[in-house]
Amino acid sequence: VIDNLHAERTGVNETIQVQLKKGVLELCVLALLSSADGYAYDIASRLAKGVDMGEGTIYPLMRRMQADGLVETYLQESPAGPPRKYYRLTAAGRASFTAQKAEWSAFVSAVNAILGEAQ
Amino acid sequence: MTRQEFMSRLRAGLAGLPATAIVDIADDYEAHFNEGQAAGRSEAEVAAALGDPARLARELRAEAGLKAWQETRSPSTAAAAVFAVLGLGAIDLIILLPILMALSGALFGVFMGAAAGFAGGAVLLVGGPFFVSAGHILAVMLAGLGLMAGSAAVGAVVTLLTIAMVNALVWYGRLHFRLLKPAIEA
Repeated sequence: VIDNLHAERTGVNETIQVQLKKGVLELCVLALLSSADGYAYDIASRLAKGVDMGEGTIYPLMRRMQADGLVETYLQESPAGPPRKYYRLTAAGRASFTAQKAEWSAFVSAVNAILGEAQ
Repeated sequence: MTRQEFMSRLRAGLAGLPATAIVDIADDYEAHFNEGQAAGRSEAEVAAALGDPARLARELRAEAGLKAWQETRSPSTAAAAVFAVLGLGAIDLIILLPILMALSGALFGVFMGAAAGFAGGAVLLVGGPFFVSAGHILAVMLAGLGLMAGSAAVGAVVTLLTIAMVNALVWYGRLHFRLLKPAIEA
């Protein structure tokens, strides 16, 4: 029974973590692209280091964001090898970044306030 | 896993998408391997970091299905979107399938009823005057017209409901995309 409970709890924790990361992944990509245009490999390796995600998931995400009109692509020569596909934010992408960033900050400070009270 | 194994599993998982989409997606992952190699990583390392190609293919297919549904509202794109979302495993099939079947069955029934009402109304409107006495012709034609209008309204509502249902399902599925499970857990 204890083993089951334990397994259930790890399951729940894992779900919460996945949900949390999923929610901020798009925000992170928007943030990275807001400071400079980037190509997928670079975005993926920076995100993989920071938030521990599978690198391959960047491609479904970028396709979704492109379909939603948040980013657009262009080709640029790379110093080595074939030209790279770069992503840049559209006006809608910048607007979405501003809105999501504000939402995130409000959420984080609310959670922090509650955590602070608990100590 | 070698680069070749990864790519062939990915392509196998993408089968059924338009050829141009498959080429686009495959190019993205080929470029990823090239970048990894240039950065001094081995094929196996890059493949492991990318994650399970079959799962990535499911996510990409779902994305393509949802996009098609958003661009054109048709029964076939609706079905494609629903199946793509179900394929993600994001929705508990055992719980949802009976509800889904019942709902779509009910919607289909009401829709067929509306179609029959519309046809019946048309028959009354056109054929009625030949079968009733002169005094009732106007009444029977108006009744036919009313029946047609009512049925058309019901049909329109059912169509809107169906679109709303598919949208809700798609929204729910997207919310539960398992985008972030790292490669190792897959």
